[in-house]
Parts: sequence; structure tokens; C-alpha cells
Amino acid sequence: MKFKSLVAAVAASALAVAGLSACSVDKSEQSADKPTIRIAYQALISGDLIVKNNKWLEEALPDYNIKWTKFDSGADVNTAFIADELDFGTLGSSPVARGLSEPLNIPYKVAFVLGVAGENEALVARDGTGINTVADLKGKRIATPFASTAHYSLLAALEQAGLTPNDVQLIDLQPQAILAGWERGDIDAAYSWLPTLDELRKTGKDLISSRQLAEAGKPTMDLATVSDAFAEAHPDVVDVWRKQEARALDVIHNDPEAAAKAIAAEIGLTPEEVAGQIKQTVFLTPAEEASAEWLGTDGKPGNIAVNLQSASQFLADQNQIPEAAPLKVFQDAIYTKGLPGALTE
Amino acid sequence: MSVFVDITPDEHAVAAPEVSPARPWRGRLTRLALPLLSVLVFLAAWQLAAASGIWNKTFVPYPSAVWQAFIDISTTHDGVRGYAGYLLWEHLYMTLRRVFAGVLIGVTVGVLLGLVMGSISWVRSVLEPWLTFLRALPPLAYFFLLVIWLGIDEAPKITLLALAALPPAAVATTTAVVAAPVGLQEAARALGATRAQVLRDVVVPSALPETFTGIRLAVGMAYSSVVAAELFNGIPGVGGLVKDASNYNNTPVVLVGIFAIGFSGLVIDGLLRALERRAVPWRGKI
Repeated sequence: MKFKSLVAAVAASALAVAGLSACSVDKSEQSADKPTIRIAYQALISGDLIVKNNKWLEEALPDYNIKWTKFDSGADVNTAFIADELDFGTLGSSPVARGLSEPLNIPYKVAFVLGVAGENEALVARDGTGINTVADLKGKRIATPFASTAHYSLLAALEQAGLTPNDVQLIDLQPQAILAGWERGDIDAAYSWLPTLDELRKTGKDLISSRQLAEAGKPTMDLATVSDAFAEAHPDVVDVWRKQEARALDVIHNDPEAAAKAIAAEIGLTPEEVAGQIKQTVFLTPAEEASAEWLGTDGKPGNIAVNLQSASQFLADQNQIPEAAPLKVFQDAIYTKGLPGALTE
Repeated sequence: MSVFVDITPDEHAVAAPEVSPARPWRGRLTRLALPLLSVLVFLAAWQLAAASGIWNKTFVPYPSAVWQAFIDISTTHDGVRGYAGYLLWEHLYMTLRRVFAGVLIGVTVGVLLGLVMGSISWVRSVLEPWLTFLRALPPLAYFFLLVIWLGIDEAPKITLLALAALPPAAVATTTAVVAAPVGLQEAARALGATRAQVLRDVVVPSALPETFTGIRLAVGMAYSSVVAAELFNGIPGVGGLVKDASNYNNTPVVLVGIFAIGFSGLVIDGLLRALERRAVPWRGKI
């Protein structure tokens, strides 16, 4: 701590000198005399981007610098958490399960459900392959981005249809490569997400979507996590942050147009495209967030812990972790402090 | 790109102290013991760094964890076969096969191009900007285009490796052909040799040592593009293994992959150098 304050002092004096001698070109409005909250976000359709675009956190927390950093995958967010470079982060349920299991054991807690995969993630079969059900996939080539929520959903769908991964040919492809392989006829089916998914649907047929899998007890989610150290030191900030996220959910439900506009500004799609994607994703209401099905209430962690445990088991089956962590680990990793009251003013 | 230039001291220079009868052990010591010692020191430092607990195990796993991952990937254990259903040697074999095919195509085309560019100056003027352009491109930048054009199977991977291997081979050959001693060429012409004979008996032999360096660089370039080439649908393959494991923050497996790529690269370079010694014994003697 002493070292940190020394560094801060040095940085402050350096900045003061710089400020005296020349004008700064940094536009991010960071001042060194305020502590910084470090937030990782991803280009996902979620309320997080509404909060960011409208600068709600900056408004609600004037005594802090807010530093938003964009990440491309949950694995990278995990790495940054391990390096102690983040306070808040956005990542899928699979990476969270990975982070909470051995050997990573990242000290963070799930504090919010940003979105639940619905029709925006689905398994599609290409026209002309004669595949009409998931069971028809036996022996076929199916592409999906490995280590993603879609990968998890695909294996869950196969299992549901009585197939094992060995019955099909699984191929690791990122969405844009799925599209290329699809159009060339290299793959028969793919589990992917929007916007690639809409392109696939033009010449394909939905076999199962993540919404159906969620109803069958295998949901995949985009979650927001907060580091244990930060949550302990600044529970008030976490409360403010949750309120802003809840406010974004309200906007999504009550004013989807404004939501689409704010998200579109952040990820470079048109508001119309974003509006279409919002419709296909499941967004909870603040009341649902604190229900037993999702986060739960103070002292009574909800069903998310069970879902994460199942995702952990999936990783163990994939031999990516030695063994699945017990349910208790995940229950302890749900940040339920002050729920359900904390989400509403 | 020229930073990759052969930094290994000339073989003969290294071998020289060995033949001196006064201290035969000295050469052997530097050749065998020192590399071994450096590996041991490295392992010890690694173990200490991991045991110190300063860094998380994801960043600095124990050497034993990496060894365990190596064993796990190399064997069938608890009914699980290697990593993602393939054993380590199968991953390595697929990667080497791709590298071999890519390098073969890239080097063949590159050396032929180099010969033509070196001997006919207008061809060089036409092709040089294209070659330089290609050489400056990181493979990742254009790999996605290859996937769109060539699909997701072997074709784009081999093409990528060939494109990575081509420029160094072509550039080295061109330079070597241009630098072929004019005196010797003119002497041969004066003795009645035809243009083809001069090329075959004077230019090619004098260019060969440099060309070999180019080939070694080409193999190095192709090898360093392996992870990029196996970014899509790369399993089985060591590059695909590294990429997949890093998606799961599975550092021990990533390290096993890195070591596999590094060690096989060393072996291949050693083989190439041995081949070079056999094929161009006149290196450095013209």
C-alpha cells in the first residue's frame, strides 16, 4: 500500500509538471488524484454498453476515474483478473466457470447477469444436407468456436439428442470463418451467434436455439464479475454499479430504441441491426435478477451457481480442468449482498 | 526481416579449437556441457520462480505441471486420448506435414524465382516490389482471405506457409545469383561455355551457400507462422493445440505446445545445417 501511494504521488507530481509545461492530449478525463475503477467490457449486446455509452458510471461516481478496456474473449478477461488489472469484467458463463475452478481460482464474484442467450445463439443446419433434427447430425461436420458458450450449448444439444462428441465431426472455427466454410459447403451445421447466425439462417434451418437449451436447464449467460478485493473495499461502489446496470436493463425493456442506439454507437452496427439482436437475446428484469432462478437474494445464492457448476463439469469433461469444482464454490462466488433491495432505489 | 540472419557462428570456426590437441576437452565442454548447463540453470530458475508464489500458477506453472501436461497429452489416460483426441506426436506430425508441404512449395518457387530474378534484371525490376510487399505482410493479416478463397481444410494452411517461406528463399537466391563472381563467369565464357553452362557450373554453385541460408530462413519463417496457419480448424496440429489451450487459460498445455514447436524447430534446423554441410562443402571457400 505504501508503495502504491508512493507511485501515485510520483505519478501525480509528474502529471502536475506535465500539466504546467504543456497541454495534455489525453481526452479520457482521468485525473491522478482520484482512484480508478478498471472495467473490462466486450462488444456484446448488453446493458453494459448502455451504461458505458451514456456515461452513467462517470456521473454516478464523480470521485472516481472510470477506465473502460475492451476485451475480445473471456479467456483474456480471466487473464487480466489474475494479473490484478481489473475490478469489474464482462465474460461468458463458460469462462467464469473456468475462472472459479481449479487451477485458476480467480478471486471474483458474479454480480450481475447481463444477458441470457436466446435465439441469438443457435444450431443451424445447411440447406441440402437433409438434416432436420439434432439427431440427424450423426457423422456430420459441425463448426463452432471452441471454448465459447456456443461450444457448451452444442455439446449440451448433442447430449440431449443422445449423441456423443465422437459421433460427429467437431470443428473449431470463429464465426466469420464459419460463414466462409458454410458458403463453400465445407461444413454441414454450425452453432454460432449473431450477426453471423442471421447469414447462416438465410441458407439454413434452426435445429435448436440457446433459448430452448436454457429452458431445458442448460442456459448460457453473459455475466459481469467483480473482484473480491474490490467488492470488500468498496461495497458502495458495487451498489452504484449494480444500480446502473439495472437501469440499463430497464431501458432495454422500456425503451428498446434508445437502448439499440446506445449499443449501436459502441459496437459499430446500425441501431436496426442491434434492435433485431436485442429481440433475440433474453434480458432479465431487475426483479428477475434477484430471483432464485438467477442471482438469488442475500445469503441465498440462486440457481446460477448450479448452471456454473454444470459448465465447470463440462470443462472437466473436455479435460480443460482436472475436475469440476463443487457447488459450494459457485454459491460462494455469487455476489448477493443487499439483494433484492440493492437493485432498486 | 534481415534480423533473422544466421547468427550461428560458422561451423568450421566452432570446430577449430576441437582439433587442437592441447585441450581437446575444452571444445567438447563448450559444445556439450554449456548448453546442458544453461538448460539446467533455466529449469532451476523456473522452479524457483514458480515456488516463490509471486506469480499466479496461470502465469508461471510449475515445471512439474508442464511435465504432467506433456505426459497427459502424449498418452491415453483414464480413457482420454491426448489433447482433443489426438496424441502429441499426432499433433506434431500434422503440423510438420503442413510445414513440409508449405516449405517445399514456397522454397521451390522462391528459388526458381530467385534464379530468374538474379539472372534477368528486368524480371527483377518487375517482381521485386511484389516480393517486398508480400514479405512485409504478417500472415495473420491475410489468412482470413485464404480461408474465404480456399476453405477450412489443408489448402489455406499450406498456402499460408508457402507464402511465408517464399520471400526469404527468393530474396536470398536473387542476392546470391547477382553476387556470383563476374571474373569466374567471364573466364568460363572465355573458355567457350554457353550461357546455360555458366549458370549451371558457375552461378548456381557459387549461389548455393547463400541459397541454403535463405532456405533455412524460409523454414524459420514458415515455422513461426504455424500458430497463425492453424488458427482455424487447426486440431490436430501443435499450433491449433496452443491456440485452443490458451482459450481455456490452460498454460501448462500452451507451454508443452511451445516447447514442441521450439524443439522440433531446433531439430529441423540441425538437419538442414547437416544437409548444407554435405551439399555445399565449398561454403566460405570461394
